[in-house]
Amino acid sequence: MTEEKMQVKPLNKKEQRHRFWSFFWRSYAIQASWNYEGQMNMGFLYGIAPTIDRLYPNAETDPEQMAKKKEAYKRHLALYNCTPQTSAFVLGLSSSMEEEYAKNPDEFNPESINAVKTSLMGPLSGVGDSFFQGTVRVLAFGLGLNFAKQGSILGPIIAMIISIIPSFLVTYYGGKFGYTAGNRFLKQLTAAGVMDRAMHLVTIVGLMVIGSMIASMIGITTPIHMGKTFKLQSTLDTIFPEMLPLAVTFFMYWLLKKKVNTSWIMLLCIVGGIVLSVLGIFA
Amino acid sequence: MLVKAILIGLIGVFGNMDSRLLGRSNFEQPLVMSCLVGLVLGDLQKGLVVGVALELIFLGVVNIGAAAPPDMVLGSVIATAFAILSHTTAQMALTIALPVAIFGQMIGIVLRMFMATFSHMADKDIDAGKFKKAQRYHIVWGPILYALMYFVPIFLAVYFGTGIVKSIVDVIPKWLTDGLNVASKILPAFGFALLMQTMLSKKTVVYLLIGFFITAYGKLSVTAVAIFAVLMVLVMNEVLPKKPNSVTPELADDDLEEL
Repeated sequence: MTEEKMQVKPLNKKEQRHRFWSFFWRSYAIQASWNYEGQMNMGFLYGIAPTIDRLYPNAETDPEQMAKKKEAYKRHLALYNCTPQTSAFVLGLSSSMEEEYAKNPDEFNPESINAVKTSLMGPLSGVGDSFFQGTVRVLAFGLGLNFAKQGSILGPIIAMIISIIPSFLVTYYGGKFGYTAGNRFLKQLTAAGVMDRAMHLVTIVGLMVIGSMIASMIGITTPIHMGKTFKLQSTLDTIFPEMLPLAVTFFMYWLLKKKVNTSWIMLLCIVGGIVLSVLGIFA
Repeated sequence: MLVKAILIGLIGVFGNMDSRLLGRSNFEQPLVMSCLVGLVLGDLQKGLVVGVALELIFLGVVNIGAAAPPDMVLGSVIATAFAILSHTTAQMALTIALPVAIFGQMIGIVLRMFMATFSHMADKDIDAGKFKKAQRYHIVWGPILYALMYFVPIFLAVYFGTGIVKSIVDVIPKWLTDGLNVASKILPAFGFALLMQTMLSKKTVVYLLIGFFITAYGKLSVTAVAIFAVLMVLVMNEVLPKKPNSVTPELADDDLEEL
């Protein structure tokens, strides 16, 4: 046992930094072979492979190490799916667990590695997807659209800057924290309710931006009128402006809540739009 | 045309590699894709106009878990190229984008099914002790297949298709273009509804309405609302009662960055 302990050398500063960057890039590349069976399983294996290779350097000559290495590689072929950015945390944490296992193979149960991965991927995907796909993307492209509508190339540029900064920070520091603080960090995070609180506040920003976009970017009006005196649109505007866009959006939301298939709704939007236009109800 | 078709095909590949290799950093969004196509074809303004129209719809399409949404990269790249090459309107581009996106969704599903065989091949290689080879399926073959899935259809469509599309567009009657115009206003509403689906609850609907009325009555831009929203949330963070458990300083820093 003591012999194996000697083989796992601690990393120096430079190697440490190199490893955090490896977590970063390999988390970004985790979807490169996304498939229906294991989803991001091979991506995770690719991410953790350098760690495993380092832990069992003499696999070619030592049959015991070879067996351990194969076992570790196979362990990470199990189904995995997580938002790339938050996945860096899992990758860092799993790497520290693999190291722990290599150091104390008798005390550490390797099954716990996949157990931790599986239990983390659900909540972290939930948080990651709603933060990056929801709030950040809406904020970035909501602002970007605002500029792009005025014909400014700043639109996509601003959208990309806002997108990349949080993505970079969460991925890089996620991998780093996962590796260094690991379990302890996550326990604190959930125990203090910080995660829920941050999600709630961040959702509020997203929703306000969506509300603003409904009012400024849909622009459905009605040409219905009687003679020259009565124009339905003016009447609606006196109740409150942009009423039709809000109503149509909530109608779509209602359809989604009723579990109507999204392809049907999309078709309804197109056919309905043409019909309403021909009948002179919407313009 | 050959060079342009190749370049536009490469833009599509780049759009997909955003998800494959760049952690889905949003380069794949229609606003970015359409602008790049506009730059290559020398009509940035048209690229922006089509990009805005498509973005409003696809902003609501959220890639979550295993669900395969309509393929916005394929849809926006091909539609923008057509809009510019055959001098049609953004509304017309929308009607091309949607069927193309659904076609992309279908070939995407087939490809992801095929890639499941990679896991089994990697498994065999690990048994044989070929560790580097087991990783290569992921980082070499995965991106290559995905790249082909985007390059081939886009190249063919741009190189051979513009003439045909133009002649079709020429015979479309006015009532249909007017109707499509209305449809292109309703589709963003659907996009927003999709977004709301994951974020909205009875408690939070009030925030959506605040954002809506600020813009509806005050005519403030989305940028202004976003700034107010962030500031308001920072105030709320101060005001709302904190849970008894203390927070470590490093955690608090990270939290702030996210906001």
